[in-house]
Amino acid sequence: MSIDKVLLEILGNRFTGIVEEMGYVIHRAAFTTFVKETWDFDSGLITRDGEVFAYPRNIGVTNMLSMNMKAAIDCFDSYEPGDVVITNDPIHARGMATHLPDYMMFRPIFADGRLICFAWCFVHSSDVGGIVPGSIAPHASDRFQEGVVIPPVKLFKAGELDAEMRRLILANCRIPTQNWGDISALTAALATADRRMGDCFAQYGADKIEEAIGALLNYGEARARAVIAELPDGRFAFSDYLEGDLLKTHNVRIKLVLEKFGSDILLDFSGTDPQVNAAFNLPTHGMVNQFLVLGIVNFLRTSDPGIPFNRGMVRPIKVKTPEGSILNPTRFAATGIRYTTALRVSDVVMGALSQMAPNRIPAAGSGQMGLLTLSDLEPDTGNFVVHVLEPLQGGSGGRPGRDGIDGVNFSGGALRNAPIEALELDAPIFVNGYRLNDEVAPGRWRGGSGVLFECQLLSPHAQISSRGWDRFQIRPWGREGGEAGTLGSTAIIEASGHERPIEKIEVLRLSPGETVRVISPGGGGYGDPLERETAAVLEDVEDGFVTIAEARESYGVVIVKGRVDEVATEKLRKTMVTNRMPRVEFGYGQERKDYEAKMPEQFQDLVNKILADEPASSRLYLRDVIYRRALGEGTAGLDEIALRKLTSDLGEATRRPIFGWPDRKVA
Amino acid sequence: MARLRLGVDIGGTFTDFALLDETTGRVTALKYPSNRARPAASVRGGLSEIIAAGHATPKDILYFSHGTTLAVNTILEYNGARTALLVTKGMRDLLYIGRHRLPDIFNFFTDMPAPLVRRAHVVEVPERSLADGSVAIPVNRVMMEKITERLRALEIEAVAVGFLHSYRNPANEVAVRDFLAELAPDLYVSLSSEVWPQMREFERTLAGTMNAYVGRRMQTYFGDLETGLREEFGLNAPVLSTKSNGGVMTANEAALRPIETLMSGPAAGAIGAAFVARSAGFSQLITIDIGGTSADVAIIDGEPRYSTENQVGSFPVIMPAVDVTSIGAGGGSIAWIDSFGVLKVGPRSAGANPGPAAYGLGGSEPTLTDAFVVLGIIEAGEFAGGRIVINRDLAHDAVAALATRLSFSVEETAEAIVRIATSHIYSALVPLLARKGVDYESYALLPFGGAGPMHGLLVARDIGIRKVIVPLHPGILCATGALVADVRRDFVRTIHRRLDENSGEVMRLVRTAFEELESEGAAWLKGQRLTFASERFSRRADIRYLGQSFEISVDLDGVDLDGAEPLAAAFRREYTAIYGYADSAASLEIREVRIVAIGETPKPRLETLPAASGKPLPDRAVVEKRIYHDGAFCTARFVDREHIRQGDSFPGPAVIAQYDTTTFVPAGYVITIDTYGNLIAEAQSEH
Repeated sequence: MSIDKVLLEILGNRFTGIVEEMGYVIHRAAFTTFVKETWDFDSGLITRDGEVFAYPRNIGVTNMLSMNMKAAIDCFDSYEPGDVVITNDPIHARGMATHLPDYMMFRPIFADGRLICFAWCFVHSSDVGGIVPGSIAPHASDRFQEGVVIPPVKLFKAGELDAEMRRLILANCRIPTQNWGDISALTAALATADRRMGDCFAQYGADKIEEAIGALLNYGEARARAVIAELPDGRFAFSDYLEGDLLKTHNVRIKLVLEKFGSDILLDFSGTDPQVNAAFNLPTHGMVNQFLVLGIVNFLRTSDPGIPFNRGMVRPIKVKTPEGSILNPTRFAATGIRYTTALRVSDVVMGALSQMAPNRIPAAGSGQMGLLTLSDLEPDTGNFVVHVLEPLQGGSGGRPGRDGIDGVNFSGGALRNAPIEALELDAPIFVNGYRLNDEVAPGRWRGGSGVLFECQLLSPHAQISSRGWDRFQIRPWGREGGEAGTLGSTAIIEASGHERPIEKIEVLRLSPGETVRVISPGGGGYGDPLERETAAVLEDVEDGFVTIAEARESYGVVIVKGRVDEVATEKLRKTMVTNRMPRVEFGYGQERKDYEAKMPEQFQDLVNKILADEPASSRLYLRDVIYRRALGEGTAGLDEIALRKLTSDLGEATRRPIFGWPDRKVA
Repeated sequence: MARLRLGVDIGGTFTDFALLDETTGRVTALKYPSNRARPAASVRGGLSEIIAAGHATPKDILYFSHGTTLAVNTILEYNGARTALLVTKGMRDLLYIGRHRLPDIFNFFTDMPAPLVRRAHVVEVPERSLADGSVAIPVNRVMMEKITERLRALEIEAVAVGFLHSYRNPANEVAVRDFLAELAPDLYVSLSSEVWPQMREFERTLAGTMNAYVGRRMQTYFGDLETGLREEFGLNAPVLSTKSNGGVMTANEAALRPIETLMSGPAAGAIGAAFVARSAGFSQLITIDIGGTSADVAIIDGEPRYSTENQVGSFPVIMPAVDVTSIGAGGGSIAWIDSFGVLKVGPRSAGANPGPAAYGLGGSEPTLTDAFVVLGIIEAGEFAGGRIVINRDLAHDAVAALATRLSFSVEETAEAIVRIATSHIYSALVPLLARKGVDYESYALLPFGGAGPMHGLLVARDIGIRKVIVPLHPGILCATGALVADVRRDFVRTIHRRLDENSGEVMRLVRTAFEELESEGAAWLKGQRLTFASERFSRRADIRYLGQSFEISVDLDGVDLDGAEPLAAAFRREYTAIYGYADSAASLEIREVRIVAIGETPKPRLETLPAASGKPLPDRAVVEKRIYHDGAFCTARFVDREHIRQGDSFPGPAVIAQYDTTTFVPAGYVITIDTYGNLIAEAQSEH
């Protein structure tokens, strides 16, 4: 770094001030509730090459630091001062935008007629058209059901609004007024950045600023490399699943080999399952995408809290994602709730990291974000009214040196819940309970508990709809001897008190007197439960997370009359250590073991290898047929030759009509 | 016989005293070391010193108001009473789940703030009220006997009660208190419905819990203080306590509602700032209070802005309070070099102990204060009446250690430290002003606190704030605020109705609520047994667009409430002022109505400064000294503030030293002294 290391620090702070100012300008001026409530917007300063060189710390959605804007910038031959570009297009902007509701805008910043950098920001709009209000339909099977695509276009040309473009954009969404409000808020934020950067040019000169921008990225990169270089070289493999039910297929595996050499990291997702016919695809275009590297970015931030927030941090990272996979789908794939997939990608990256950086990575957390909404019919007007109930995320994994966080995980820690009193006042609902689940995964550092929400509906028209659930069948993994986390679950409690488990809720109506109970998953445990401090076990017993029986069975702690019997505990723990199975590195839980007994990972690898030779559009169908057969009849006999024959036969069969009309049997 | 008022502010390092002579309007300042373990001792110590110095005799002190950090520290340090919380069955983790937000989502080792009551001490009570306020399951004796037994077994000292919908009907909470008064009279009990009856079970219950957690300790403290001042000093004035809402209350009241003191220190600072600025003719201000360990910002539009989204540690507090935001560390911030050779300032602070290297109290790491010493802006010698002695060599050595590694001169390094610290304030203050919708071009900056005036103009220069006002006693502004605050208490009632349905009935509800709150307020003012210059009530309502979950606070003073339209118009005016637009067709929802009952205390007139006579500055009382500034050695004017007279004017660079702080005027600003002795700095031209 040749630049003055004082100026670097001064300008780094100022740029942070500028991007955060942009964030607050958006927050104040934006129209849609979603923006104000969930902070689903963002801001940044970007180099001419599309790298984020300044990024907010305290406001915004906070996971966009590693995005790349180069493709979007390159959509235009030239820029003039006052130009403002808008896009929501995952294709042309190549992974900068990853789903259509994100209106992204950027503006070139000039000094004395010379382009120095860009200011960028986005908001998640509440509607951009498409098949459902809100534009996010989990079951959408292609992009065109998800709203209107805006490729990068100049909404302002040299400061002049393109009114025709405005008309076109606003004609294609359900809430044009609000969306124009949000777009205006973004425009205002970009203008603010332009003015502030102008102050910097005036005070320090554009040359110094350019030099500082480069140096800041190098500084971020150097600090990231310093963290990585300390870790051992090697290949670290890990895989995990998205449950198939909501994705309308079998469980989807995300597979990773993390290769680390020196201070470089390659995330190789080869072997990851095909894209799905639902809105869970993550369009990365095979590039380093913010959602692929989030786990590493957070690891770097945790390891080096002072690391400057810029894209220099991810320069050491390369990625490989198979084309046509859920992590690099073809161009028409639906992507609306790619966030659910991103959460599992994070778990996979963390699983690999935890092998490379022992004792620095938590066990898996709940890895999902269930959102419940209640809709009701207003009796007088016949209008639908929608109430957002509580976000149910679930606990984080146990951490080396610390228990998991109850009820909340890092990934969704920014979303707010609503007061129960407001729900009961506004919506036809009676809440029986909203509290932590009493069950936690054992570990030297135990997992964080899930959240329980139990309610009755007090209107005949009321129904609950929800999305974002996962980890109802495959547990969050435990680590270093910690046990797997707790599963999410849903049940109906009938008026008689009889309890009946149900599937993940997509849409649900209740009969009078019925109560629904949803429990979100809890994180895995970390470390050997037999090494947990006895006082901590006693505290969990007093706090109601562990029963006296569990204290004995899982932790080997004997509690008598509210006190730990230390002598009996020591004796019991010794016996348990001698008699138990060898300790495992990852505690996957019985459910994943059972699934993989039927569907071994090598078999899954083989299937993916064969499917790779088929067109991307057929892979999911072929996989479903193969998996159905394998789960029914077993994988025996399904070797490569048999599978190739099967896929080829299926191909043949679909192309051959059945002549005549099959007899219909009417019952 | 003199008529004196005494304002006291107990801070982390110093307890500040502002003594005001009502006849002359003169303010005398004193800083006395704080005794963290026994705050009342610092009050008595400082008072003894004031009396010994002949500034006052106790019988002449007719007004005694003070702010204490005891309650807030008890919460931040988690050393309050062993408290139990009684909640509605099913809501056991109310305090823990909170609003479901993690403080630092990137850090794998972050945690939710530990609740003040652990899970084992939360008792689920099988009671229930409904959203309409009807009691579905009442509290009964059998259940309370069982609960009391359990509280005894858990050795509980204080109890908070937070039941669902108690803001609407407190019957079950009141019944619990009545039973406890009989079954366990030794417990300190706080009801959420009494502390702050607003809808939002988490925040309301938290308010009740905090109150219970600190209650007994505050009761004891105020009791001891009042007795001590009477018996030891023969002080006859009632003991008043400052409040988070910028007002004051009696010691009795503070013992019952200690939660209202949590943010009282910063609030009093803003009140003091607004008061002195008003006399100088400024109404729109950004105040920044920089001390040894913190920097706090408030916005003043005539009077300080209020907020219902305040924080104490990681805990939200929804009772209205002066809107003060902490933006980072103060003069004790430590400068260091990271492993990449980049110079950093903070976030570690030398705090009050050991403090900056220059204090000679054992600190050896260079701090921001040391950098100012090296630059020559803080002079060697005694400060705060000799309570601090600045040693230039120690500061120099500390900064020199960094200079060698940077290959800079010691002075260059010192200036780099100051500029980096300034950029930290920039990066926090600029977004904050955007968040608060402050157009800084029409606002002046008012820096105060021990380090504010030294750093404030540098901050103003970087951000582009053209006017800066440094009050006469910037080091004791919180104590000054305590002197001039009114007696205030907020009252709330939740309405939670749409304005466009049955608006006649809704407006009737609103009017009735205001009337009832005002008679409650009037009774409360009467119960304070103080004499007021006047009594008044200020009305506000929290209103939002239906479907949005954030409301804005609308001033309803003088708004006709017969029909809904004037109220809606007032909302739209306020909304437009904040967001620049308002939708006139969308439905509105009125959430809460609030009043502030205000007993106005007589406002003192401040002393005016004599006009300059004879030789104008800079010929009189100015010493020119060498400082390092803007990358070079230069000559700065050094003036003792005591020698400054009304109408004096001189350009920066200049240093104005006084008992409680030092003001630095960088190049590019010109200082003029106003009638009351305030320094008014104005930017000369674009820089």
